[in-house]
Amino acid sequence: MFYDEAMMNTYNMVKQRFIKKWINTLHMLDSSIEHPLNVTERKNAIRLSSDLAIAATRSGSTVWSRTLISRSGNKTTNLTTNKPMARRILKKARNRMKNRCSTLRRNGNFTAKVGVRKRTELLKSLVPGGELIDDKDYLIRETLDYIVYLRAQVDVMRTVAAVDLVTGNLTNDRTNK
Amino acid sequence: MLEGLVSQESLSLNSMDMSVLERLKWVQQQQQQLQQVVSQSINNSPELLQILQFHGSNNDEFLQSSFSQFQMLGSGFGPNYNMGFGPPLEALDECISRTSSCHMEPVDTMEVLLKTGEENRAIALKNKRKPEVKKREEEKTEKKIKVEAETESSMKGKSNMRNTEASSDTSKETSKGASEIQKLDYIHVRARRGQATDRHSLAERARREKISKKMKYLQDIVPGCNKVTGKAGMLDEIINYVQCLQRQVEFLSMKLAVLNPELELAVEDISVKQFQAYFTNVTASKQSIMVDVPLFPLDQQGSLDLSAINPNQPTSIEAPSASWETQSQSLYNTSSLGFHY
Repeated sequence: MFYDEAMMNTYNMVKQRFIKKWINTLHMLDSSIEHPLNVTERKNAIRLSSDLAIAATRSGSTVWSRTLISRSGNKTTNLTTNKPMARRILKKARNRMKNRCSTLRRNGNFTAKVGVRKRTELLKSLVPGGELIDDKDYLIRETLDYIVYLRAQVDVMRTVAAVDLVTGNLTNDRTNK
Repeated sequence: MLEGLVSQESLSLNSMDMSVLERLKWVQQQQQQLQQVVSQSINNSPELLQILQFHGSNNDEFLQSSFSQFQMLGSGFGPNYNMGFGPPLEALDECISRTSSCHMEPVDTMEVLLKTGEENRAIALKNKRKPEVKKREEEKTEKKIKVEAETESSMKGKSNMRNTEASSDTSKETSKGASEIQKLDYIHVRARRGQATDRHSLAERARREKISKKMKYLQDIVPGCNKVTGKAGMLDEIINYVQCLQRQVEFLSMKLAVLNPELELAVEDISVKQFQAYFTNVTASKQSIMVDVPLFPLDQQGSLDLSAINPNQPTSIEAPSASWETQSQSLYNTSSLGFHY
């Protein structure tokens, strides 16, 4: 994907900024959330902080970053206030969205006849804030931007997870001895 | 191409009330600037980076321009697309209605300059145009080709403004030397034989061409998109890729949740310098990792700095494990780490 040192440098800078912001957001979330947490809650917190951080890294004129930030903001308020009602509502909304996506996908594996329209609808549902974009031009532009940052997010998370794996090995060895 | 160059001007050029002449002057300014800047060396990326740093006014623009540079260089010399180029493009779009009856010959050269993938299309267009072209204009276009061949990448930035050429039967009346230069900043849509030449279809065609250009950029970003043709197929690939990445994020966050009983990443206390020193190390060799390891201090728990891990590692997680084992051994060996059992 990248053929060039200069590009890799700027890409690395993006990753750098992302991870700094991620550490911050994770700390903020950690201090405002009540422990103990089970695995799912931890996963959600990590996912949330990561999305917020990547959107903040992009923090510019893109629809997807603004949508992500506002979505994450809603989720954090719900998490921290711990209102069961609000959580239920959010869950329902999310499930409804998921169901819509899956039915779109199920209904006939998208033969070419189904055409560009259904696919653009699916793309709109995937890209955060895509539903708000009417212009197909602009949607593709947003998708492009989103993909690059998503890729950066994945790269950083993968390396952090790998570090944790190694650190886990070290601590295990230590406790065994 | 250079967001920094464009952004300041584009704000002032948004309104349709700008006269053609002012727009022309802006275009010529841009061309001159780009020619100066790019003529040094086109392929030398560090210089391009400097240019971006010179012109970029803030971080976002820098990143946007750097990403557009990704696309440009990543595609080898594919069509260039600037994400922030929106306002001038939209303003120029509306100029199509004005220029549908105008002839724009030198725009031909842009087609010729675009490389791999566009070459065939360019040649096809040029061949189509030959029967309609008068000799005088051919000479002019050839001159322009020579001149502009030196500044390929800068012209690619301009190619967005001149997607395709326009010609119609009425064009022969208006073809003059001076007027040709003036119309450089309009979007020209070629009306082939038997096709409607009214405003709407030309505008529609320009819009479609823009979309197809964007599709090409997406091809460069999304891996494996080259083999698929047609909008539907490419959209499929894109959707697939986005879903894949999102699932990866989900999976990785789950993995991190499992590995970290407390909500902390094992990357505390990293100084900015180490990050920079590490992330600028592009060469992913084991030796370099080994050499760098003793330089990274570790905190008391002995957790590795993230900077000890190369961000350029391949996608599989098992692959880097060998280097980490060697790393962890070196950690055990160095006494300054304070491992206590």
